[in-house]
Formats: sequence, structure tokens, C-alpha cells
Amino acid sequence: MNLKDCHNYNDFRKLAKKKLPAPIFHYIDGGSDDESTLKRNTDSFNNYDLIPSVLNDVSNVDISTTVLGEKIDFPLFPSPTAMHRLYHHEGERASARAVEKMRTIFGTSTMSTVSIEEIGEINKGPKLFQLYIHKDRGLTDNLIERCKNANFTSMCLTVDTVVAGNRERDKRTGFTTPPRLTLGSILSFILHPGWTINNLIHEKFKLANIVHMTQKGSTIDKSVIDYINEQFDPAMNWNDAEYCVKKWNGPFALKGVMSVEDAKKAIDIGCTAVIISNHGGRQLDGSRSPFDQLSEIVDAVGDKIEVILDGGVRRGTHVLKALSLGAKACSLGKGYLFALAAGGQKGVEKLLEKMKAEIYRDMKLMGCKNLSELNSSKITLRK
Amino acid sequence: MKLKDCHNFYDFKKLAKQKLPSPIFHYIDGAADDEITYSRNTSAFDDVDLVPNVLRGVENVDLSTTIFGKKLDLPFYLAPTALQRLFHYDGERAVGKAAQKFNTMFGVSALATVSVEEISSMIDTPKMFQFYFHKDRGLNDSCLERAKAAKFDVMALTVDTITGGNRERDLRTGFTSPPKLTLSSLFSFATKPMWGINYLTKGKFELPHLQDFVKEGTSTNSSIGNYFSTMLDQSMNWKDAEKLCSQWGGHFALKGVMSVEDAKRAVDIGCTGIMVSNHGGRQLDGSRSPFDQLAEIVDAVGDKLDVICEGGIQRGTHILKALSTGAKACSGGRLYLYALAAAGQAGVERALSQYRAELERGMKLMGCNKISDLNRNNLRFRKK
Repeated sequence: MNLKDCHNYNDFRKLAKKKLPAPIFHYIDGGSDDESTLKRNTDSFNNYDLIPSVLNDVSNVDISTTVLGEKIDFPLFPSPTAMHRLYHHEGERASARAVEKMRTIFGTSTMSTVSIEEIGEINKGPKLFQLYIHKDRGLTDNLIERCKNANFTSMCLTVDTVVAGNRERDKRTGFTTPPRLTLGSILSFILHPGWTINNLIHEKFKLANIVHMTQKGSTIDKSVIDYINEQFDPAMNWNDAEYCVKKWNGPFALKGVMSVEDAKKAIDIGCTAVIISNHGGRQLDGSRSPFDQLSEIVDAVGDKIEVILDGGVRRGTHVLKALSLGAKACSLGKGYLFALAAGGQKGVEKLLEKMKAEIYRDMKLMGCKNLSELNSSKITLRK
Repeated sequence: MKLKDCHNFYDFKKLAKQKLPSPIFHYIDGAADDEITYSRNTSAFDDVDLVPNVLRGVENVDLSTTIFGKKLDLPFYLAPTALQRLFHYDGERAVGKAAQKFNTMFGVSALATVSVEEISSMIDTPKMFQFYFHKDRGLNDSCLERAKAAKFDVMALTVDTITGGNRERDLRTGFTSPPKLTLSSLFSFATKPMWGINYLTKGKFELPHLQDFVKEGTSTNSSIGNYFSTMLDQSMNWKDAEKLCSQWGGHFALKGVMSVEDAKRAVDIGCTGIMVSNHGGRQLDGSRSPFDQLAEIVDAVGDKLDVICEGGIQRGTHILKALSTGAKACSGGRLYLYALAAAGQAGVERALSQYRAELERGMKLMGCNKISDLNRNNLRFRKK
């Protein structure tokens, strides 16, 4: 199997599984506890059906939209995710280039393995930086400052990781960053020599944005779980969020909002958007799926703040369903990470092209010329 | 597989299966008829989703709750279960010590294999005695008196075992108490020699609360279903329950209440709590799951007595969902029995610390600092 055999999410996932040592594949693929939220995130789309209109002359379809202050070619962008160099030796360099080419927003994580400055050089398109509030508040100011200088266009604060989720697959595989050879994982690394050789001959793995501020995650073997629990501040509150909004002074989103109450508070502190998300089912298992919760949020605040749906998106029709219920755009994490692992920059480009083509085709099949024609009349809940 | 490989309920179950002779494992793991209620008890939790709040400053989380006038450090306790020395030679001694360490309530069954006196001398944290209404009134009085003398805090009368459930796994494996070697079980006992050696060498198997009165299950091999059907008084009614409640004169609960009507009568006869329970799916198959039924009961009597949700709990988030619905606390049997079978006291302690960690993490991710922050606004029931 290689990249040309990848036609959808499942194909990219399959190829990634072949290329990656097991602990790393399962770090991407896993969720928390029983993974019931992870599964529901995608399943929830199947409870709703689309209702197409016909004979509408769809020779020209415009799927561009404006979100977080930037016009993008299609209503989907890669969520900020951590540690791309674990998945492919080019890491964020590969994904940032692919996303620039596809003219959508590139999400960069605080825990990226390529620096803010270098990403600013590589990708001149719209860029979203994802911020974690560390116990060391100086680190927060420093990150915001650097993003401004590197021409990032928007910022989001992740609010659903005050403590790390219970990722049991990582406990079994012994996943750490940088990867540590344990008796249990050594076989898997040997069986994936391509990944292992690339990891060894390229530059040393580091969390490029925070390496100078903290020893954790750079030279010491740390699981992400330990990092989150030691470094992130569980005392984080609305005042801290408001401080970041003001300090950034540009398009700002809260990532991981699930309740209407919190969405309203996000408006009060001056946010541009809320990203409805449960962190890809990796945090609170049993949490509602973003798509299940979407209508409630849109009905309450959709006219005052941009609502972005994050989680479970595998298909163009999932994006159409979310937009029909009032989301402004969608984002995805696992899908493009598998593509990155499967084929580096080319893999991410291919995945995004596929998703864009699906959205484009599905708009025609829905009889819609532009995204604003998607509304609640196009979708119905299955009884 | 070892104790350190156990990260959740299912791991403990797997290890317990390795360690126990199969009739004993299936006695714990099995339930009535087609086990539909057993499976629903847990899957009911999947039909409701949690909606968290964020940015609430959650560095400190208080998991304590007060039931039956006792403050527990955890919002769940160890439900009374029978015959624990069959599962591990330390039996109730192991479970009681673990419960004390975590300062939660220890439920002791009338069919316990360690006496109330010994348990009481061993642990000073809250204790519940679970009572079966026997035909032999002398036995009933003796149970109440001994539990009272041993300073038990709560008496729970089980009301859902008026006759034995149809536990078909036990019919197939030939499970009896004490274990009887049959041709079909012999192989299984022979392949788990450690269990057999411990069982034979670590003290005689006894049912100390019953042995002065009955021979069933003590020296004669008897199935539990048979015991329920022959020893318990099927004429038991509300008057009997009321009499026991006043005879006990302290916190008194009915275990196995499922209807609103019965919950209201429990209030009327002076109960201070009820366990919404179907006996872990081991009695009436097709019975509604406790979690499915919980809201109805809480709405009717939640302000008048402590409503405990019992059955199907395998995760911290299950407890959070039950508490959000209005239960005062949760309880469960299998949630610690597999761990007991897997590694005795150390196993139960590991299981309890995992549930505690799951609860603490779940509370933080929900944006809640204390149990009373949980309410139905946190929940959305899935549309079909």
C-alpha cells in the first residue's frame, strides 16, 4: 500500500499504521477511557441526513468562506496538533507547506516541534496559534509576542486540558516523547525501520517553542500526560483567558467550549470564535460529541460569535452537515496526522485535496452554489 | 498478566478470570437469564453525554459526600456482596481494609465469610450490614443484634431476592457454596492450583452470620439461587420492613427498590435511603437499569432520603453521570470483586485509587470543584 492507494480517512489511517511504530500510531489513534466519545464524535453525524435540492444549475460552486478574519478556499482547516516530527521527520514543515498550498488556515500547537518563527517563514498564509496556559505565565506572554512577530493571524486558547485525559493505549504501549525504547516497544521500532532511521538521522526531537523555557519534553523522557499535568495550570480561569484575548488583540478563539453558558462568556471576554470540541475524544470520555452539541450553541450564540466544529470529521458530508446546522467551518486533527505519517507534505496535500473535492462534489449534489445556502432546511434528524 | 497491567475494570476482570476456577469466576461475572439487564446496566450510561464547563479554576477538587449521616471521602462505596473468601482467601478482611484506607463505606453481606465482630474490630470507618429476611426469625434477630453490637452504621434490607434469579452460568458450571468438585469443574480447579491451595490452607470457609442457624451453604453445598428460594421468607411485606426499620433504630435502607411507588413507601416507613438496584442484573432479567430509572426516583423522593445508584458502574464518568442526575452516591459489587480476586487487598486498593483518579480527573474536566456542582444541566440525553 502506498499514497496513491489512499482515497479516504481510513486509507490514510491504514497506511499510517504500517509506517509508524505502534506506540506512536496509537498515540494519534487513541482516545480516553473506553473511547466512547471518540467513537461518538463521528457516529453522531450519522443520526442526521442531508436533503438535497435538484435542478439548481450548479456549474459554478463557491466553497470559500471567511473565518477567524481570513478568507479560506474551503471551510475546513487542520486543527493545531502537537509534535508533528514524531509522525514524519519533516514534521510541521511538511504540514505547514501543504496547508499553505491548499489555502486554508494552518493550526500550530504550543507543543510543535518546529518553532513559531520557522513556521512563519515557511507558511505565508493564515495561521492559527494554539496556546496552552502554563503555570509559568511568562511563557504565555512570550508565546503571544513571538506569534505576533511571526505574522500569525489568529490565536486560540485550549480550555479542555486542565488535566490530561486517561489515554489507556499510551499506558499499554509506553508512549513518551521523545520516544523511549522500552522492552515493549523496541520490536515495533525495529519493525518500522523507515521511521526509526529518519528519526535518528534528522535533527534532535524537541518542543521547539518551549524548549528554552523548560527542560520537560526536550531532553527528559516525558509522557505528554506528565507534561500536561506538571506544566499546564489547572487554576486557569476566565480572567486568564480575557488577559490573553486583550494581549493578542486580534481574532481569538476558545478551543474546547461545550456549554452554552461558556460560549456566552466567550463573547463577553471578546472572543471572535468558539471551537466546539472535546479534544478528539482524548480528554473527558462520556463528553457530548461536538456535532450533537452544535445546534444548542449555534441557536444561543451563532449570530454573535463564529462557531467552529472540531472532532469526528472524516468526510465532506460531515462538513456540510455541520455547516447546515450553523457552523462557520470545521477543523480536523487525526485525519491530516495520519496523512502526514503516510506521506509527509504530499500526504497532507492529498488528504486536504480529497476533503476539498468531497465538499465541492457534495455541494453540487446538494444543489447549493455557495455555503450560505446550507441551512437547517437541508438537514433532518433521523427519528 | 499482573496487577501492574491493570488499568481499568476490564483488566481486573481479565486477571480475575486467569486466577479463579471458572465456576467461581462465572458466579461473579454471570447474571440472570440472557443477561440483558446486566449488559444494559452499563450501556445505559452511554445514552447520556456530559457537557463540561471550562475556565473555572479546578486545582482543588473535593470528592467527599455525606450519606446516611456519614461523610465519605468518595462518592461511591463498596456494595455488600456474598462469599468474598471464595474470591480471595482474605475475603472481607482485604476489602474492609481497603475501604478504610479510602474512607468509604464497606458493605458487609449477611452471607459474608468474615464475621461482623471481626470486621468491626478491624476497621473504624463507616459500615453497612446487608440483611436478608429469613424464615427463621431467630436468625433475623441475631443478625440485627450482632450488627448493632458491632456498631454498624447502616442496615440495608435487600428486597429484590425474594426468590433466586435464574443464573444459567451457575447451572452450567455447577457452582455451589462451598465449592463442590464435580467432573466438569474438577479440571478448572486443577488448573488454578494457587486458588485451591489458598482455599484449603487459609482457614475454613464459613458463613459466620448463619452457621448457628442453618446448614445450607455452610457445610452443605448449596447454590445461592437455592439458598434464596428455600431460606428466605417470600411472604416478606411492607409491615415486616417497617418493623425491622424500627427494630434497628438507626439509618435504614431498602436495597433493590425500582419503582417510584415503592420509593415513596420507603420514605413512609422511615427509611433514610434506598439503593436503586436490580442486584447487578442477577435477579429479574429485563428489569430496567438503575441509571435509566434514576431520574424518575430522584424527582419523586430525592429530597426525602438518600438515593444510591447501584449497578453497572465501571468508570468514574459513570459515577459523575449518576450524581449529575441526582444520586447521592453510587455503589457496586463487581467494581471491586474482580480486583479482589486479582490481588486481594492490593488489588482492591489499586482499583479504588483508579476510580478516585478517574473521578478527580473527570471533575476537573467537567469544571467542577465539588460534588454538589454536578447537576442535570451537565447532561444531555441522546435522541434516538
